Amino acid sequence: MLSVKRLISTLRLIASYAVANTQAVMEYRAAFIVQVLTMTANDSLWLFFWWTYFHQFPLTNGWQITDIVILWAVSACGFGISAAVFGNARQLSSLVMNGGLDAYLSMPRYSLLHVCIAATDPTAWGDILFAVGAYLFLVHPNAIHIVFFMVLVIMTSFIFTAFMVILCSLAFFLGNTEGLAQQMFGALISFSTYPMDIFHGAVRLLLFTVMPAGFISFIPLQLLRHFTWPLFGAMVGATVLMVLIAVGMFELGLRRYESGNLLGMQA
Amino acid sequence: MDAVGVRSERRVMQRWRLALLKYAAVLRVSVENNLAYMMEVFFRALLLVVLVFILSQLWKTTFALHKEKILSGFSINTMIWYLIAAESIALSLPALTKRIDQEVRSGQLAYLLGRPCSYILYNFAHYLGERLVRWSMNCLVGAGLATLMVGWPPFTWQGLLAWPLVSLLAMSIDFVAYFCIGLFAFWFEETQAFSFVFSRLTLVLGGVLAPLEIFPQPFRSIALALPFGAILYGPARTLVHFEVDRFYQLLLQQILMLVIGGVILLVIYRVALRRVNINGG
Repeated sequence: MLSVKRLISTLRLIASYAVANTQAVMEYRAAFIVQVLTMTANDSLWLFFWWTYFHQFPLTNGWQITDIVILWAVSACGFGISAAVFGNARQLSSLVMNGGLDAYLSMPRYSLLHVCIAATDPTAWGDILFAVGAYLFLVHPNAIHIVFFMVLVIMTSFIFTAFMVILCSLAFFLGNTEGLAQQMFGALISFSTYPMDIFHGAVRLLLFTVMPAGFISFIPLQLLRHFTWPLFGAMVGATVLMVLIAVGMFELGLRRYESGNLLGMQA
Repeated sequence: MDAVGVRSERRVMQRWRLALLKYAAVLRVSVENNLAYMMEVFFRALLLVVLVFILSQLWKTTFALHKEKILSGFSINTMIWYLIAAESIALSLPALTKRIDQEVRSGQLAYLLGRPCSYILYNFAHYLGERLVRWSMNCLVGAGLATLMVGWPPFTWQGLLAWPLVSLLAMSIDFVAYFCIGLFAFWFEETQAFSFVFSRLTLVLGGVLAPLEIFPQPFRSIALALPFGAILYGPARTLVHFEVDRFYQLLLQQILMLVIGGVILLVIYRVALRRVNINGG
């Protein structure tokens, strides 16, 4: 009962932050709308490339244009939710470097969650808009598929966020890892938006372990094509494992953290 | 009278020479600044390795499935070298728009305007220094990767000689476009979105994912007619498939784009300068 209460309270905190952050970026309404439309146009351009590609080369290892649409919709929506709700996760390494974690450590809520939800990326709403639009209008899913899609994109958003936290937590041990984190995260996004069948051997193994792109693109796509419980279990397991590794890395790193004696204010 | 004419001509020449030296000095300082952070430049180039690896896997699979050795005039060898050439230009772009945007918003522009040099040319020299270092590193890392993946390049000596020239012109076109977008900060709250759209249009319609010949009609003709192809596709194709006619055509297209873009840039700059308010204090 207590844990259910705590879960509801945490969800309410996340929702409150998401609303407050969105209201903050909406202050510059025109800029916000331009950013959202720009990101939607960007994602649509990539999909346009794939459309032209499949027009010229109809089949690539059994892949069709609808598969690419699903792959892009899941990746973009997962990334969009991660950046919109947990948008401050990418600032973690600079917070560690500058001693900026102090403001979060003194608060009653769990500090890692608090750091992650403290900011949003307005362009992320463009990714979400594109993903939902592409999935609904190009794939024409039924109600069950829509529910599955929602569950899967929430899981992929956790994977994206956890991966970013793991990369940024390296700053506790290695110093400035901001560039490295950006490069690795960029690589994860790149690998997640191409058909998994073009990768073989050791690379494919890497994409299901060190760089979990397979759990962002390949497994959700397979589940949306043909649902099986073992595959769904693997997806849930991978998500939980990623989150646990991220929390573990952060906790381990926190022991090495040195306060910057910074005076900060969370309004 | 003749002596007066010769003297004034000499004076003009001297002024031009000094101006050139001035911007050459800015370019040299910018190159040295970037060379000082060599490891950062190197790590940036690693993204090129990831992207080219992914694209090469896609095209290797495509070639294998279609049991073709040549697709639209490209073998897998020339395709990989083409991708390296296009990506080396695309990934060398510095955050020019962001810098101009910040200088306009923070008011730092006012300090720079007071300097005895053109704001546009100063920024061009600074941008070129940064970009040349990144581009050179991308070419080095990319060449190593492509040699490992598909062996020696199929270049001709004409292609190799033309490559730096067409790349330099492509970078100059990028400068004109991104500088104009940066100046939009005088009118718009947000300029990064415009810069983002332009960069994505350049990547997709400019042929960074594949040579434009690969794409079906009418997309191919549209993409070839648009200016984005002159930034990535044109230079990369010149390197791997040098043809004299196409080279002259590309040069003409790039120079025309620079002239037209330059005029637009000057107009925007002049109009924007009227909005600058400098207050003492």
